[in-house]
Amino acid sequence: MTIELRNVSRWYGNVVAVNDITMSIGPGVTGLLGPNGAGKSTIMHMIAGFLPPSRGELTITGPGGTGEAAPSWRNPAVYRRVGLVPERDSVYAFLTGEQFVTATARLHELPDPAAAAARAIATLDMADAADRKIATYSKGMRQRIKVAAALVHDPEILLLDEPFNGMDPRQRLHMMELLDKLGSEGRTIVFSSHILEEVERLSGTIQVVVAGRLAASGDFRAIRRLMTSRPHVFTVRSSDDRLLGGILIGRPAVRAVELTRNGLQVRTSDYGAFCRDIAVLARDHSIRLREVLPADESLESVFAYLVAS
Amino acid sequence: MSGLFNPTVAWITVRATLSRKRALLFALPAAILILFTVALKASRAPMRPWPSHVLGTFGFSVLLPLTALIIGTSVLGAEIDDGSIVHLLATPVRRSSVVVTKFLVATGLTMLFAAVPELIAALIAGGGTAPPTAPAGTTGSPGTFAGPVAISGSKLAIGLFVGALACCVIYNAVFLMLSVATTRAIAVGLLYVLVWEVLLANFVSGVRLLSVSHYGLGIANGFASDSALQAGLTVLTSVIMGAIVTAAALALAVNLLSSFTLKGEPA
Amino acid sequence: MPEPALSASATGVIHDLGYRGYDGPRQGRAQIVRALTWHSFRSAFGIGRGVKGKIIPALAFIAMCLPALVNAFAVARGNQRLFGYDVYVPNLRAAVVIVFIAAQAPELVSRDLRSRVLPLYFCRPLRRSDYPLAKYLAMTGALLILIEVPLLILYVGTIASAKGGSAIWHETRALIPGLGVGLMYAALFAAIGLVLASLTGRRAYSTGIVAIACILTFFVALLLIQAEGGQSATATGARIAGLFSPFTIIDGVRVWLGGSAQTGFVADPGRYGPLYGVLAVALLAACLGGLAARYRKVSQS
Repeated sequence: MTIELRNVSRWYGNVVAVNDITMSIGPGVTGLLGPNGAGKSTIMHMIAGFLPPSRGELTITGPGGTGEAAPSWRNPAVYRRVGLVPERDSVYAFLTGEQFVTATARLHELPDPAAAAARAIATLDMADAADRKIATYSKGMRQRIKVAAALVHDPEILLLDEPFNGMDPRQRLHMMELLDKLGSEGRTIVFSSHILEEVERLSGTIQVVVAGRLAASGDFRAIRRLMTSRPHVFTVRSSDDRLLGGILIGRPAVRAVELTRNGLQVRTSDYGAFCRDIAVLARDHSIRLREVLPADESLESVFAYLVAS
Repeated sequence: MSGLFNPTVAWITVRATLSRKRALLFALPAAILILFTVALKASRAPMRPWPSHVLGTFGFSVLLPLTALIIGTSVLGAEIDDGSIVHLLATPVRRSSVVVTKFLVATGLTMLFAAVPELIAALIAGGGTAPPTAPAGTTGSPGTFAGPVAISGSKLAIGLFVGALACCVIYNAVFLMLSVATTRAIAVGLLYVLVWEVLLANFVSGVRLLSVSHYGLGIANGFASDSALQAGLTVLTSVIMGAIVTAAALALAVNLLSSFTLKGEPA
Repeated sequence: MPEPALSASATGVIHDLGYRGYDGPRQGRAQIVRALTWHSFRSAFGIGRGVKGKIIPALAFIAMCLPALVNAFAVARGNQRLFGYDVYVPNLRAAVVIVFIAAQAPELVSRDLRSRVLPLYFCRPLRRSDYPLAKYLAMTGALLILIEVPLLILYVGTIASAKGGSAIWHETRALIPGLGVGLMYAALFAAIGLVLASLTGRRAYSTGIVAIACILTFFVALLLIQAEGGQSATATGARIAGLFSPFTIIDGVRVWLGGSAQTGFVADPGRYGPLYGVLAVALLAACLGGLAARYRKVSQS
């Protein structure tokens, strides 16, 4: 099943949370990445049918091309195929884990709720805690029982809003393995996160959202390569800028050198090589380095670079 | 989904409503009503028309709306407030089914905690008939029971019970709708009960057409034919308006729930 | 941007460039309490919260002022003043006060509990007892606005059509006790509303608790009075029936201090008058003590 967004925008009064996003999410694991406040949650809620787009179209297409595309807003039938793990830590705390998942199975009108619930609980490794009240669970366990409830009806699309929040590294690993397995079964898994390293191990596509706009999409590794091969800018001040500049321009890693009042602005395409080079060069030519500053190391500038390109 | 009543939703709602200390909150008025009745009956108070005051004023105009308010706003409002409604809504269950099921649960619980104690208290009070004495200082007392009770106590009790049942239904529909429409449903409901119903309905007769307690009184009057009830509306008007208000409130609740949105960050 | 550390060894250096201490003059405890009181006072009316938060306070205020406005028109037509200053319209006032504190006391205290900001408050130079003090002053002030402003409107509306200085003086003399009764209401109900609302962080529950406590006690007391013979009765039962609810307690104090027994809720307390006074003060002290005790121990959750 595919999730299609066409020119989707969402605004609240004057604030534009999502700005003209067009993307298509197909089977496999897709990560929605971006800094906090980028609009990831808004997009997730719109896909989940809990927020209408202010403009544009958002549809979920039927399995294997049986395809009428239907919007998820005001369409409870879509939940037969979609499972949602909301971000907010709110579950029926007075029920036991097993009661909660079984009740969810009944709400989905499954033919054998108890068996489906047991299966889902076993998949999430919660079988021994299932008979305790959810109020006694730790945060990671609550997250897992929410995922179990979302999986109980065997959905083709699984939406997880910041699923790794509050999980320790081991739980994170398990969750990633699970998502990977589900994705390779042909399901469409969408999860949101703001930590790049978290999704490193997950194969699949990522959609990078920055300030409401789609900054990058595609294979994670390709994007990473794009990011590391972008030109870096350094500001260098030394005891003899002109001399240093002349030497640097001869190096293969350096793309451009500009002599300004505040020192040298050096553009380089190879961060690591430049860092190694400049120290050696300065020492060999008896130039004293006063300041070597990378000019754009923040995540935002990385994303901004992606947006600009 | 076959039918409007969903047993799973009902089970979750009952568990959620009764599992907290909140359950004490709405058992309290009922307990006080019965204790009060017993105490008054035992003490053989000098002034007689107290059944109509206790059962009518207290039971009908205060106990019933308050209990319906607490219960009606919490069956759906509490889940919306803490966000657990999402787990319910992220299933193919029809929104109308959710609303109707919770409405039925709320009505049932309110009948149990308000209408039944009202009946019990009425039966305890028994034939508390009084010589028609002129009521004193009734401008100071809210509620509409001002006249002497000159009919048999059990007829009054049955009439009040039926009226109370009707009020349970209508109040819960309205308060359920309020709890979807706003997060301050209890405060708005309080405003409605205290200012609109108790105060204005005594001053402005047109207001009665939009006052749930008067629908109940009209229906009670239809059974008990008691002039002391001072029901401003006929039975027919009460039933029709009550049905309209109930249906409209539930329909509005379903529509609002279907458009339930999750904002980016919880408020 | 951080300056690079140029040392070749593996030691680290933290450059304290961010937080800077402040050694200048600081404003004292009074200013803290004043600031918190002002902020809470504004929240009691929903100021600073958006439109929705202002609806209920606005409606309550308008409802309270309506009779005063009606009176102004009536007096202009030549009628007598319609309502007493000390009782105003008793039922309306009781209803509006209940709605206001049930809706707004949670805004003052339950919100802070729910969003767990109390540890943030108390790790500042704000004393444990100053927080409830500020909240209480704010709520009392809000209730004073709600209760006294309509009385003042009543007063102005009446003297605007008054004929002659003695009529104005007569009105003024009647107004003063009325303001005093209003002050009693404000002081007591602010305390009751806040202490009940501080029991829980969920606003809906707090509203429910305050509402049920006030309404139930009120009606129980009223019914007792009725059952014991109404407002003109003189039996002991009728005299002390008013002790069961804060509204009737204050009304009892009012009658004890010289008000008329026919216009309010209670029967004439007669020689039980001082009991009403003592109970009013005791109730206030208990509520304030409870409120202070509530914040003595604040957990993080």
